Amino acid sequence: MANDREVLREIWDGKLPVCFQLDQEEIMEIQQPDPFYVMVPRLSYFPLVIDKMKRHFLRFISQENADNEMWLDYNGQPLKWHYPIGFLYDLYCGSDPQTPWILTVHFSKFPENILLHCPNKDIVEAHYMSTVKEADVLKHRGQVMSTMQKKDHNQLWLGLQNDKFDQFWAINRRLMESHGESEGFKNIPIRIYSEDGTYIQRLINPKNSDGSRKVVQQLISELYPENPVKLRTHGINIPLDTPLQWLSEHMSYPDNFLHVCIC
Amino acid sequence: MSLENTCEEISQSESQVENLREHKENGDTVKTDKVKVDILLKATGNAPIMKKKKWAVDAEKPIGWIMEFVKKYLKLEPDEKLFLYVNQTFAPSPDQVIKNLYECFGTDGKLVLHYCKSQAWG
Repeated sequence: MANDREVLREIWDGKLPVCFQLDQEEIMEIQQPDPFYVMVPRLSYFPLVIDKMKRHFLRFISQENADNEMWLDYNGQPLKWHYPIGFLYDLYCGSDPQTPWILTVHFSKFPENILLHCPNKDIVEAHYMSTVKEADVLKHRGQVMSTMQKKDHNQLWLGLQNDKFDQFWAINRRLMESHGESEGFKNIPIRIYSEDGTYIQRLINPKNSDGSRKVVQQLISELYPENPVKLRTHGINIPLDTPLQWLSEHMSYPDNFLHVCIC
Repeated sequence: MSLENTCEEISQSESQVENLREHKENGDTVKTDKVKVDILLKATGNAPIMKKKKWAVDAEKPIGWIMEFVKKYLKLEPDEKLFLYVNQTFAPSPDQVIKNLYECFGTDGKLVLHYCKSQAWG
């Protein structure tokens, strides 16, 4: 079970300064809108933190676009709302960090073939819960999520949505426990992303065949025997001697997956 | 709550449906450069059954593409919902690639996907 509480807290408190700018083509007023600055939790999702920003820009755009779905890009790269914010930053900015992170806001020309639609926050919740369930299938054959009550599921989501660490971890700790005789998960929920945002997900056992703890170095040589890569998450390069089980318990995003970038 | 509107563009899927090839009983598939994996589509709840359940699909295709294929095969109306589940547990996001799901949740050389017209699990 996760026990390095300071680490969990540190990860939870991670924030990014973001500067939102309205796409020049959208601006219908003579007066230019001020950029909108905000600190956002790394672990959250954009649809949960941009209500104020949207209101700020709405009066500058063409009224016929006001009901359109808003979307964001960084450097021309549309940002997927269903990935955690901190992960998106690591993916597109990790090798050349910049703060504040300057993003462009759009109300038209939705990139249908790249982004999923997000008409409301219920869609974010559905996506989030489904990802937690997938992770639990990998870790415990889905047994923890299926024995939880609906109110527990709600508490997880509300804890994340309202940035309440204790509320979230009171439930999430049960998802981070090991079951059975062996210490550790059945498999480690991990997605490893290339620069283009595609990822691989494989069955990764937290132990080697001799029963010893598998570390990041061994994972890399398993998946990339020819090309020793480096991995980054939460803005740091992961030390090669980190055990995967510890990594999963402490550095997973709230959706219970490790989202790591190749760098 | 549903993600049914979030698939790839239908027009794009339509041209690709023609590429979805039958998997023959003897295991032969039409040879192409692309890696194919077997999926088994099972109806649940009130969903109509598909006459052909086993398909060999391009492993790089996203789940949203399968959703559009099933909707087209079942001749559902564009506004009808379709839910796809893995392990009868979770609904993968439409942009999840078949290969990743097959590698993690495939059994006996195939990936089983349950589909239904209303939310079945969670």
